[in-house]
Amino acid sequence: MKSRSKDQTVAGIDIGSRSIELVVLNADGILRQLKTPTTFDPLGQCRRLMGELEGGRVIATGYGRKLFAESFGQMDVSTITEIQAYALGARFLHPEARTVLDIGGQDTKVISLSETGKVFKFEMNDRCAAGTGKFLEFMATALQVPLESFGEYALRSDRRIAISSMCTVFAESEATSLMARGERPENIAMGLHMAIVQRTIAMLRRVGVSAPVVFAGGVAHNPCVVRLLEEQLGQPVIVPGNPDMVGALGAAICGKNGF
Amino acid sequence: MPNIHDAMWEKLNLDLEAHAGLLEVLGKFYGDIYMSQQGRLKGMEYLDFVLSEVHGLRIKELQDAKASGKKVVGTFCVFVPEEIVLAAGGIQVGLCAGAEIGKGEAEKVLPRNTCALIKSFVGFKLAKLCPFIESCDLIVGETTCDGKKKAYEIFSEYSPVYVMEIPQMKNASDRQLWKSELLRFKSQVEETTGNKITADSLKDAIHLLNNRRRVLQRLNRLRAADPGPISGRDALLINQISFYDDPVRFTTKIGELCDELDERVKSGTGIAPEGTTRLMLSGCPMAVPNWKLPYVIESSGAIIVGEESCIGTRNTRDLVDEGGRTLDDMLDSIVDRYMRIDCACFTPNTERLDNIVNMALDLNVKGVIHYGLSFCQPYAMEAFKVEKALTGAGIPMLSIETDYSMEDVEQLKTRVEAFIEMTR
Amino acid sequence: MKPDCFEKFQNAGERFLLEVSELQDNGKKVAGIYCLFAPVEIVRAAGAIPVSLCGKKEKPIPDAEKTLPPNLCPLIKSSYGYAVSDTCPFFSASDFLIGETTCDGKKKMYEFLGRIKPLHLMHLPYSAAEPHALEFWCEQIHRLGSFVEESTGQRIDRDHLRFQIRIHNRIRKLVRRISLFQRAQRVPISGLDIMTVMETKSCFVNPERYISLLVEFIAEMEAIAVDGFSPFETNAPRVLLTGCPIGKGSDKVLSMIEESGGAVVCMENCTGVKGLDLLVDEEEKDPFLALARRYLQIPCSCITPNTGRLTLLNRLINEYRVDAVVDLTLQCCHTYNIESRIIGDCVEKIHGLPFLHVETDYSNSDVEQLRTRIEAFLEIARWSAPAHAGNGKPPARIQFSS
Repeated sequence: MKSRSKDQTVAGIDIGSRSIELVVLNADGILRQLKTPTTFDPLGQCRRLMGELEGGRVIATGYGRKLFAESFGQMDVSTITEIQAYALGARFLHPEARTVLDIGGQDTKVISLSETGKVFKFEMNDRCAAGTGKFLEFMATALQVPLESFGEYALRSDRRIAISSMCTVFAESEATSLMARGERPENIAMGLHMAIVQRTIAMLRRVGVSAPVVFAGGVAHNPCVVRLLEEQLGQPVIVPGNPDMVGALGAAICGKNGF
Repeated sequence: MPNIHDAMWEKLNLDLEAHAGLLEVLGKFYGDIYMSQQGRLKGMEYLDFVLSEVHGLRIKELQDAKASGKKVVGTFCVFVPEEIVLAAGGIQVGLCAGAEIGKGEAEKVLPRNTCALIKSFVGFKLAKLCPFIESCDLIVGETTCDGKKKAYEIFSEYSPVYVMEIPQMKNASDRQLWKSELLRFKSQVEETTGNKITADSLKDAIHLLNNRRRVLQRLNRLRAADPGPISGRDALLINQISFYDDPVRFTTKIGELCDELDERVKSGTGIAPEGTTRLMLSGCPMAVPNWKLPYVIESSGAIIVGEESCIGTRNTRDLVDEGGRTLDDMLDSIVDRYMRIDCACFTPNTERLDNIVNMALDLNVKGVIHYGLSFCQPYAMEAFKVEKALTGAGIPMLSIETDYSMEDVEQLKTRVEAFIEMTR
Repeated sequence: MKPDCFEKFQNAGERFLLEVSELQDNGKKVAGIYCLFAPVEIVRAAGAIPVSLCGKKEKPIPDAEKTLPPNLCPLIKSSYGYAVSDTCPFFSASDFLIGETTCDGKKKMYEFLGRIKPLHLMHLPYSAAEPHALEFWCEQIHRLGSFVEESTGQRIDRDHLRFQIRIHNRIRKLVRRISLFQRAQRVPISGLDIMTVMETKSCFVNPERYISLLVEFIAEMEAIAVDGFSPFETNAPRVLLTGCPIGKGSDKVLSMIEESGGAVVCMENCTGVKGLDLLVDEEEKDPFLALARRYLQIPCSCITPNTGRLTLLNRLINEYRVDAVVDLTLQCCHTYNIESRIIGDCVEKIHGLPFLHVETDYSNSDVEQLRTRIEAFLEIARWSAPAHAGNGKPPARIQFSS
């Protein structure tokens, strides 16, 4: 890797299905972090986000990484996968991390780190969006609760009912039939959260859970998912201050240090 | 657009319009995945040609052979001993399919959670798209897995299927079972072709097919060089074509291609730069045109240097002993050779684990990608054990389960790239 | 109104465990089995007690999924989950296990199960018609015999084996006789209760005592039948349930049919009457060969082509004057799932009866949807039942895009 002058900045950009995050690093640490929805014009959104950023190295990650690299050819762009990006970001914030869980818009990833912080195993959900952020978004809309407060809403439940369908479509019909039977919507919301956590736990088990677990991605904002995960794992889960920025941060760190 | 083979296809009762659509898609797909490669071997032109005429000239050859009294036997599995067919003067062709095109038709008669390979061959039949199936005088199935075993019952409502029982274990009684199945198959083939198998004809057939295996073994040795002299995609294609092409011609042509490879290896010329991540594939077979995963892998900065699969080393690793003098000796040698196949349909099949680890070490790969078709239980179950064996030997493994559709390509890319990053 | 002794069937499991632990203290061995193909006569003749270990509940599945792939039938996952989490008392009680290569999922699952307890695997031929099949299977039964002898330290005496053959034939006949009560116009007992009774045929310690219990049940049932009692409405459609095995915990579909007003009069599955009419030839000189012949005829979907199942179904449909057939298959059970179409064709085309294929697992995620399907199906069955036939028969097969 070429040596860089001290004041040179490195940017990491994470182009996800739902949102785009940008983290800019300089020698002193995080200079700036920004977030914007992906919309139907991800490149336009990237352009706006990159704004006045001039020169410097950019590392792109997320689903749009290739598209970004192709469209910003004039800059020094390289790409890494979200797996590496989340591993690097989580490890930077919490050097002791051994397991990274990221629940994003349409992907759930479980990454197992070696003692030295290298990725040694990972799992992703299959092609269907069951158990991802999209699932919660869909269900919040169905219950007419703002996504941001869906977790707190679910925590107001007074009874735990099982919703066993992991499929976004079937879970909705299950929720509807519960509603028809007069079940409190808070309890249904709790059931939906339990379903997503169950699925996540199954993936965590496949990779093998070593403590501590860092929980990143947009869904980590949801206090109900965090609570249920901790219950199921029987151990606390570390949620970084800006859980959705971890991927972009990891990308930026990759630009700074390499793998 | 009319095709010069239309009349032949029409006679074979293909759905001409749908078939034309298939060829068009296939051509474009092939162009994207194969013709876009840089620095390919000259010898690959032969394979480009064979593939472009796989439903054309090759079928014409089969039809001509049939007109002269030869019989065509179609199979779905490397367990069906081609030596027998050849020795009886027949022609054997592979009928496994790797395209999604007949899926809709297949799902009318099969459950949706059946593996893509099974749905594909049933779909090809039902949608009238496969001139190979329509050229067959005998179609041979086998009881390797639940899905195939039961799908043949459905398939035989449209074309009769002769089913061989494949043993699931490797005890003395299983060998005996297999021997009796081989003899039953021999009588069937003799009846179909009208030719008696003699010691001489079987000896020749064994020798000829061993030679085909030898040339593919040579290909495997040569491609193991670093930098890799041939792409994994091209090597896979060669293995795929070996199931369709005339075995004598194929062996000669691949011999020439290997000579060319030899030159490359000597001069240290590679298709990818030195230091490109070397990976190996292991698991389910990839039938034409199932090039999705190899393409994803090789467009992510890695090169595939070996395939542990039925369209790969499982088919070419073992030779039939050529020492047999009497017909019975030779039949025994065939039994022994086929009993060495390490398909996941066997239990406990520990030899497959050894074979994979040894192959990965020999090829000096950075990692292994285990490929399972969705709903293929035997390979899915073994993936867990393969991973354990490989990790034990210090080789990382990525388990991919997918089918023939293209909807997960982006996600596969992410996983494969992350795996490559991880092995660096 | 149920026979007084019904309770003894309900708590057969608990009683089994109680009795068996005492016998095990005195050196008796318990053989865990997973399939109708395991010849229990051999197990008994070597002095061991066979017990079925098929998992029928959802609870242990997450434990299994740590190792097993998700696309596997719930019975296999449940069975393995119980074993690996050591939460099944019957598994704990088993000294050794007997598996068979009936399906890919089980066959490969046994590779993992064999790490937990000694396991003997029987290799099942796939077609009884092939010339090698009988000899091969007979050899497998001998192999099993040697394994059980070694495990129990008790030699199989041929006369004792013949005795066991007679006893188990008797049991088959009695259980079959119980199933015949459901032939009556007024069905005297629910299908769910009959399932509870029939399920005990793979869970008893002492065969003679089990026989007395069956005899007692039959006597009480005869009295009930004379009374003309029935738990069903008079016009309840008579449903034949076929397909994968079910039992306490995996009775979702059966219960739903009966809750929705149908009467499950016959179960053509491993829990039910499958194989009950197949008796071991007591006159055959070689008891091993007699066993091989009998077991090879079990019409399981692992056999190709499984013509025996069609023959049996044809007979049962007439015998029980069935109005409709439900084929219940477990998710990812390839053999039963693929065979379903063949069964459906037979039911619809030969018998002109409505047919419903339900593919499900042990979870409750699909109950609402299932209930709708089953209710709609029973409506069709009512319309097309002989009593109502002629007034605008609706199409028999319901197409759902589930």
